[in-house]
Amino acid sequence: MANLSVNICGVEFKNPVIAASGTFGFGREFHELYDIGEIGGVSTKGLTREPRAGNPVPRIAESRGVILNAVGLQNPGVEHFIEYDLEWLKSTGTRVIANVAGKTLDDYFSICERLNGKVDMIELNISCPNVKSGGMAFGIKPQSVEEVTRIAKSALKTTPLIVKLSPNVESIAENARAAERGGADCLSLINTLTGMAIDIERRRPIIANNTGGVSGAGVKPVAVRMTYEASQAVKIPVIGMGGITCAEDAIEFLMAGAVAVQVGTANFTDPFALPKIIKGLDAWCARHGVKDVRELTGVLKLNGKE
Amino acid sequence: MKDCLAKIVKNAEIAENVYEIVFDLGETLKIRAGQFGNIAVGGTHLLRRPIAICKAEGNLVTFCYQIKGEGTQKLKTMGTGTKLNVLLPLGNGFYVEENENKVALVGGGVGTFPLISVLREYGEEKEISAFIGYRNKGAVCGVEEFEKANKFVAVTDDGSYGEKMNAVQAFAGALKEGYRPDVVLSCGPLPMLRALKTLVEKENLPCYVSLEERMGCGIGACLVCVCEKTDGARARVCKDGPVFNVKDVVL
Repeated sequence: MANLSVNICGVEFKNPVIAASGTFGFGREFHELYDIGEIGGVSTKGLTREPRAGNPVPRIAESRGVILNAVGLQNPGVEHFIEYDLEWLKSTGTRVIANVAGKTLDDYFSICERLNGKVDMIELNISCPNVKSGGMAFGIKPQSVEEVTRIAKSALKTTPLIVKLSPNVESIAENARAAERGGADCLSLINTLTGMAIDIERRRPIIANNTGGVSGAGVKPVAVRMTYEASQAVKIPVIGMGGITCAEDAIEFLMAGAVAVQVGTANFTDPFALPKIIKGLDAWCARHGVKDVRELTGVLKLNGKE
Repeated sequence: MKDCLAKIVKNAEIAENVYEIVFDLGETLKIRAGQFGNIAVGGTHLLRRPIAICKAEGNLVTFCYQIKGEGTQKLKTMGTGTKLNVLLPLGNGFYVEENENKVALVGGGVGTFPLISVLREYGEEKEISAFIGYRNKGAVCGVEEFEKANKFVAVTDDGSYGEKMNAVQAFAGALKEGYRPDVVLSCGPLPMLRALKTLVEKENLPCYVSLEERMGCGIGACLVCVCEKTDGARARVCKDGPVFNVKDVVL
């Protein structure tokens, strides 16, 4: 048994495998299948100030090796989460990361203020490609990444702040540095890549929203590269994600510089993906004589270098 | 709800572009009429295929599916002995109350298959009439099951099998002749369900419909497959449905 526990910004996770926002709800449904207290953490469905109805259906499409989604942040609102889901989710023993989305800077400030001290970490969603205002608008330019991060951080007296970066940008390193300057305690990446899938019989996009966020196995090489670039650009810890399906995928992200990983789309393909990845991580470490999973973070050496 | 590594024991075409697949789950699960399974076809297909359960007998579970895209194309090539992960049973299913004795089944296209599960669960104790519409003669299937109902009316869009009309028209015809069910259960294409909704509202008949929507997780976590409720709220087709009181949903 290797040590799988990691410490991110002072928060102890029993393992570095976290459910990614939007694929796991608040954990209740997956808890019917297995004890979600066994997974490192849960990043909740994106929470907004008021309840949101989300986009029209269809909200999902498939393309080889990936999926596209445009749910549009349907959620019951932050107050409903605090009242009905938070205590239950904590009681499972997993770490609770509240994913926070807003339309305005003021939204981000007030949701963060409301959740400060109540959850283990906050993950700022400034990269959702599926809502018309806000969301990704804040996540594209380094200047606005820094600004929204600073505002959110000013509302968080005790709870550490993760900023989730969009891959749909000019330079991931620039945006990573911008979040760090704004006061982020940690980064997570990548959110989904904007894409489109067309029903050629109807000559229309499959998804009602026309475009959707691309995720799943096929995006992994892009995500690994960006995780590497971001972790090289900043001193704060980085959580990697994008297409992780098995323990070996997770290890790539750790080697690229991540301290932990999130798993999203794989939960749809195999509802037991998370516990299997954790088990696989332990087995891989045992086979390779790795006593502590933290030894793997950033061990990557580029070809042609010493 | 369980993710079974299920063995295919039969996978054969039963009508034009419609296949019947039978899995041996290796165990017996409690499955209600109208529930569905989420079948992993594997490879580059990251989403499972949510398909209605047609029959459940001991360890054997039967699904019928129409060839629609790459996933179902792949599924149809899978031979007996192949093992696939199937998450089931999912969703709420059809309920027939104690005091509801006369049950009308109104189905069209692939929507007829979940209705077969109703016939199998309630066929002995209830008086069931089935009004089933097919595109044409080549699409007709499940007849040997529906013939077990007290009454079975099969119709086609082009009149090549039974009368030329749709399932709702066939049902409306029976109502005109004095037939009055205690409850109507339905599944089929959206235009059919809309026509049925108009009819049962006019006739003041209780009616439950099984809805179809593109799904993500299939267990209620991802909020991909929602439908709009008449009170403005959103319901998850996979978890709160797929069966809804027709009064409660916007079609």
